[in-house]
Amino acid sequence: MFSLFYGLWKYIFSKTEFHVLILGIDKAGKTSLLEKLKSLYSNVEGLPPDRIVPTVGLNIGRIEVPNSKLVFWDLGGQPGLRSIWEKYYEEAHAVVYVIDAACPSRFEDSKSALEKVLRHEDLQGAPLLILANKQDLSDAVSSDELAQYLDLKKLDERVYMFEAVSAFDGMGIKESVEWLLEVMERSKRTEMLRARAGVTGPASA
Amino acid sequence: MGILFTRMFSSVFGNREARILVLGLDNAGKTTILYRLQMGEVVSTIPTIGFNVETVQYNNIKFQVWDLGGQTSIRPYWRCYFPNTQAVIYVVDSSDTDRILVAKEEFHAILEEEELKGAVVLVFANKQVTITSLVFSMIYDLENPGISVDLPGALDDAAVTEALELHKIKNRQWAIFKTCATKGEGLFEGLDWLSNTLKSGGG
Repeated sequence: MFSLFYGLWKYIFSKTEFHVLILGIDKAGKTSLLEKLKSLYSNVEGLPPDRIVPTVGLNIGRIEVPNSKLVFWDLGGQPGLRSIWEKYYEEAHAVVYVIDAACPSRFEDSKSALEKVLRHEDLQGAPLLILANKQDLSDAVSSDELAQYLDLKKLDERVYMFEAVSAFDGMGIKESVEWLLEVMERSKRTEMLRARAGVTGPASA
Repeated sequence: MGILFTRMFSSVFGNREARILVLGLDNAGKTTILYRLQMGEVVSTIPTIGFNVETVQYNNIKFQVWDLGGQTSIRPYWRCYFPNTQAVIYVVDSSDTDRILVAKEEFHAILEEEELKGAVVLVFANKQVTITSLVFSMIYDLENPGISVDLPGALDDAAVTEALELHKIKNRQWAIFKTCATKGEGLFEGLDWLSNTLKSGGG
């Protein structure tokens, strides 16, 4: 009897867990973004930007919002480490792609890395949020200009959005998270991942 | 109330403490790393039977570093040291390609342990050959054409990542650093990462 009620309780109050990948080339500001997310949404104080070192591996940020939990996976972006990205695709609900909007000389690198991400079949149907980061710098281009520059093909069947953010002062981050939550809740991919988790037994957190 | 003040005090002037385990196969360089961190010197070591423990003060964190012997017969005793561990440093001999598979299996067995679920993982791809040692062995090759010398074929960090299947880790933070314990390269970068990660909430 108890387990019945417990099951019901869990059914009503359990939060869905979403996995979000944070990708982008090195020095784009992925870890700064992650730390900012931590500071804005959880009790832990994120690291100040000047203490952040290049990531070689995986950083994790867990945040809770009403009704859901978000787990962010921040992976290192140096060329040699990009081969690890695809190992995380299968379980990701959405992708956040971070670009340093103040560094046009590396847009080409960003673009080709992003195109490679989008071609991967394990990421089919995953919503994509492209962030024009470092808006606190005066020479940062806007999200529209960045979109024009990237000129991404084959995006039409995917839910995506460009957003101008600053991981330094927090601009645009709340909007980004709201957008992510909204699209992930009704995306086909979420259903697909849920069904798969259901078949193989409850996924371990 | 007293506890509250103690907590506030230590969070402001915080000398935090962290319990770290250094694990890895025998001859990976664990003991050399421990004493390089603690004294800044290369000591000559013998295979560890049992453990060495030292405290390393770095970045306002007091790391209590446990270096456990890595021989096959004593690996089962590692688990006695697992409780209350905040981080695991896993040392791999990057030039020992023959045993990298064993290293991988031991590594994933450690990750399965319930008592280490909350620990963050730092991998040291140790024994990285430097350019100079590479050049030396090439010169040796040229001068002694008859004798073939194995070129040091140490795996780099990406290759070790691949070999250890680090990407299978999805529920905790991990990082990998190329290190050369005898030269002291990469070790403190690793500790930087550890102290940052432990400060920002860890796992």
